[in-house]
Amino acid sequence: MPFIKSEKIKTVAIGLIVPILLVIFIEVICKLEMVPSQIVIPPHKVVITFLELMNTGELSEHFRISLSRVLAGFVLGASLGFITGTVIALSKRSERIVAPLLSALSQVPLFGWIPILILWFGIGETFKVVFIAFGAFFPMLINTFEGIHGVPKSYIEVARAFEFSSVKLLGKVLLPAALPSLFTGIKLALGMSWMLVVGAELVAAGEGVGYLIVWGRQLFQMDIVFVGIAVVGCIGYLMFLTLNTFESSLMRWHRPTATK
Amino acid sequence: MKSTGTLAVKNVSKKFKSQEGEIHVLDDINLSVKSGEFITIVGLSGCGKTTLLRLIVGLESDYAGDILLDGRKLNGPSLDRGIVFQDHRLFPWLTVEKNVGLGIVGKTDAEKKEIVQNHIELVGLKGFEKSYPYQLSGGMSQRAAIARSLVNNPKILLLDEPLGALDALTRMYMHKELERIWKKESITMIMVTHDVDEAVYLSDKIVVMSARPGKLQKIIPVPLSRPRDRASIDFAQMKEKVLEEFMLHTEQNFNYSI
Repeated sequence: MPFIKSEKIKTVAIGLIVPILLVIFIEVICKLEMVPSQIVIPPHKVVITFLELMNTGELSEHFRISLSRVLAGFVLGASLGFITGTVIALSKRSERIVAPLLSALSQVPLFGWIPILILWFGIGETFKVVFIAFGAFFPMLINTFEGIHGVPKSYIEVARAFEFSSVKLLGKVLLPAALPSLFTGIKLALGMSWMLVVGAELVAAGEGVGYLIVWGRQLFQMDIVFVGIAVVGCIGYLMFLTLNTFESSLMRWHRPTATK
Repeated sequence: MKSTGTLAVKNVSKKFKSQEGEIHVLDDINLSVKSGEFITIVGLSGCGKTTLLRLIVGLESDYAGDILLDGRKLNGPSLDRGIVFQDHRLFPWLTVEKNVGLGIVGKTDAEKKEIVQNHIELVGLKGFEKSYPYQLSGGMSQRAAIARSLVNNPKILLLDEPLGALDALTRMYMHKELERIWKKESITMIMVTHDVDEAVYLSDKIVVMSARPGKLQKIIPVPLSRPRDRASIDFAQMKEKVLEEFMLHTEQNFNYSI
């Protein structure tokens, strides 16, 4: 056990080397006044601003709002993506009917939808949730489809030999076998949602972490901008980490070392 | 005594369509298997022996002729026919216990648990109930697969080269185990193999198939008493007899008798 722990600490420590060096580097060039102090903020000042914003509760309020948008959009988009992906993976006909449209739509850069979405939904919450849902939909759709489509025929034959119903086939064979792919979809969808909430808030919002960044820039308070960026990055990373932990606990059956 | 299956394969032919045209895989196969018999089908790769087995399981359809189990024509897969594949095909996300219990239908949880436990013990995997397939060796995986195929008390068990991927010693050990399970369950077994030693050790009858198109070349009864002794002269002569069908026997310069 202690061996595993020290291994883990080592892994984390190695990942911290570059960020720490970067912070030191920026701190030094600020100290030496090599760049204008309004544009590049020394990291310690960002930390101070972060603590101030935390103290007033401002930051957590912005964060809470952004997170609730992400969750709403992610749940909506990812579940639609999951359902659509499952349906078109199971039925060749439905795949033929909707696949061309879906792949054409997925080619449009997400930010290209903003004008239309604003026109349809205004600049309120609906717009943001729909925009995020759009982003979560496609990665979930594609990975669900690929996952179910890629289930080995040999597993399906076992199910046939045991006379599984379609429901049992889906629940006991296809979805469990597709789980690694489903997780990739969830991770990509959540990552995309988190990116898009900031995007949506940069475009039109009165609160949220993205808004904080815009607001900081308008006030020319770059420390606030950096706090926003740092928070977005760290939260995104934490989400990824949480999902990974959840994934590996759910998939203990996965071969520790892939041999196939 | 539970019901065991008699199988009749009558004039069965099967063609696969490919881009180059039709491939004749099986040609006019006739075979009858008595209740509780152990039959092996031996042949070179590509002789259609696996296809024949898949037809009997019901995983392949669209063939000419009739396959009857206890007098009734087959219609797709059914729980009265169990199958063990060449690759064990255990679901990697389920424990041994769950894999074995997977196919059980129409039982209460308590009954299910008992059936699973009995079959895990039958194949000698007691203590590995909670293991995942990646934690098992090849032989153990095939044991679990055999247990899984037997939970619904099929009348007939079909085995598609189940021991092909195992090392020689494990394979010989599994022959004994398979014979024990066959006796205990008093079930009809049909096994596809290309291992003549395996065929002679286990079978009541050996069905030799020739390739392209797959035809039934010869049915060789194996009248040796069980358990069989691999070192005995009878066993060796039986093997020679099968190998003769493949032109692989040793030419004898003279015959002698004692």
